[in-house]
Amino acid sequence: MIRIRSIEISVGAFLVAGALAIVFLVVRVSGINLAAGADTYTLHARFDEIAGLSKRSKVSMAGVTIGRVTAIEIDSEYGEAIVSMAIDQRIDNLSVDAGARIQTEGILGGRYVSLIPGAEDEYLVDGDTISETQGAFVLENLIGELVTRMGN
Amino acid sequence: MTDNLIEIEGLRYSRGDRLIFDGLDLVVPRGEVTALMGPSGTGKTTLLQIIGGQLTPDAGRVVVDGQDVPSLSRRELFELRKGMGMLFQSSALFTDISVYENVAFPLHVHTELPEDLIRDLVLMKLNAVGLRGARDLMPSQLSGGMARRVALARAIALDPLFIMYDEPFTGQDPIAMGVLVSLIRGLNESLSMTSLVVSHDVHETASIADQIYVIADGRVIGHGAPDVLQESPSIQVRQFMHGDPDGPVPFHYPADDFLEDVLGDR
Amino acid sequence: MLRFLRLVGQRGLDVLESLGRAGILLFQSLCYLPDRRELPLYVRQLYQIGVKSMGIIVLSAFSIGAVLSLQFYTQLSRFGAEESIGLGLALVLLRELGPVVTGLLFAGRAGSALTAEIGLMKATDQLSGMAMMGVDPLHRIVAPRLWAGFVCLPLLAMVFSAVAIWGGSVVGVDWLGIDDGQFWAGMQDGVEIGEDLGKGVVKCIVFGVVVNWISVFQGYDCVPTSEGISAATTNSVVFSSIAVLALDFLMTLVMYF
Repeated sequence: MIRIRSIEISVGAFLVAGALAIVFLVVRVSGINLAAGADTYTLHARFDEIAGLSKRSKVSMAGVTIGRVTAIEIDSEYGEAIVSMAIDQRIDNLSVDAGARIQTEGILGGRYVSLIPGAEDEYLVDGDTISETQGAFVLENLIGELVTRMGN
Repeated sequence: MTDNLIEIEGLRYSRGDRLIFDGLDLVVPRGEVTALMGPSGTGKTTLLQIIGGQLTPDAGRVVVDGQDVPSLSRRELFELRKGMGMLFQSSALFTDISVYENVAFPLHVHTELPEDLIRDLVLMKLNAVGLRGARDLMPSQLSGGMARRVALARAIALDPLFIMYDEPFTGQDPIAMGVLVSLIRGLNESLSMTSLVVSHDVHETASIADQIYVIADGRVIGHGAPDVLQESPSIQVRQFMHGDPDGPVPFHYPADDFLEDVLGDR
Repeated sequence: MLRFLRLVGQRGLDVLESLGRAGILLFQSLCYLPDRRELPLYVRQLYQIGVKSMGIIVLSAFSIGAVLSLQFYTQLSRFGAEESIGLGLALVLLRELGPVVTGLLFAGRAGSALTAEIGLMKATDQLSGMAMMGVDPLHRIVAPRLWAGFVCLPLLAMVFSAVAIWGGSVVGVDWLGIDDGQFWAGMQDGVEIGEDLGKGVVKCIVFGVVVNWISVFQGYDCVPTSEGISAATTNSVVFSSIAVLALDFLMTLVMYF
């Protein structure tokens, strides 16, 4: 079988281009995600309204992503949503009175959990639950209230 | 080790609704050039494919070198094909590789010989057909006659027991024809091979064949040495051998009476 | 009426028979895995199928990425949501357009070439000749083309998506003035490796198998005349394209619904 060098070189280039494309797509396009694993620890938070928060929504503090939502369950007794989050191990100084708020990105953006630091000296560890929470802002409720008020 | 390389008895084969062979008997003796001739479309190429094990007959015996071809396993067939060379009508050279690579192909497939030995063999075979200088050309650069000679070199690459030639003389100019004729005869002698030539070039084939089988309507209608067949008692055979335009194979395609046809519309 | 039924039944049986032959072809060819000595054959096929398609893939990708970016901009700027262009572009390309458009382009360029080449080999007795020399054409001709095709289509689709996103960024960031950081950050935040990229790759692999299988089979099974080859080539493009679109619908349904 004849081996033509130029063909082999171009095939090599093609494969390299393909590999580069994959790397580009993985790194630049998908971003390096914080997956649940050894690098993270789990925190829980209860909300009365999560409206639109989903399983892979991000968890951030001061706008910086520090984790992901890993699970959402319902506590039907209290009518609350229990959100589980995987937080980057390196952020290990969240005080026990830290707050969690569900916010929206921009106008059309998705929901995310924003953590607000507290003042206590004791820190949250793996498995703890954040108690200071504020649920998602639902536009329809506000409009409803407005309409009711205007009606009076 | 019988005296006959190929023995075919009572061969029946149909393709779809067409019965191609109906009780064909033929014998190809070792070391001789045997020709298969007949009108177009009688299935001569099909016969070669049956001998080569590419097609399975409906009935009959096909024995090549003592082995019953239709009953061979894939492995046994592979081994048998090492000893068969075939020259196709279209030369069937692999268009994506060079002349050298084409001739080396069977050597690469069937042997584990080192490259330099293969190189020597390929050059010898190309030399035998007079094309050693063309070894680096691509098939698309060859004329029809040259392509056929390369295909011949490829067919003899493994020094086969016998070679089948499918219409080797078709469409060749007189010189190319002469070259092929001398090659076929010459190779048969020098390599002590057996040759089976399928052709309808009466003149050329008659000049090199030791015996001829004339096949028509799915069976053998004439058999013997070339000069004997020229004077055969059968008119069918004579029409073929002499090239008479009209005879048992009619000139006119079946149609109504001529005058009626032409005047009938008036 | 009866004749019509007979005709339908006949056609149905023919189709089943073809499918059967196609299945046998695929199964027997795949049994031949690449061998060290045969590497040059595979390299050559990677060249014929992959490298030669890069031109049209890159050109189409850039254009499509640019156009998408423009269209998204026109619509999203009405809500002041231009930052989402990056995300929208990436999702559309990775999930849908990358695999599908690559599949269609591949079927038209590489698939038809495969069919024509194999068909021509059949018509010039090369396949027969090979068999007579004891080499299985499925081994030497079909298997390398199938395996190379399986590898090439996903790779080409990755290149397509990458170039398209880049094209979109050129239009969006360099030309329309969207903030570079927002463009990429919005994308990185929203695009997930498993959900978007991974499932897109699954689609590519499926398309790769189907398109190459159809193209190779049409060539191998064709009537060995010039009309036969021409018909086979047309069929391979048409069937491949339909298959890509139909499978895309099914997979999207299953994966995202």
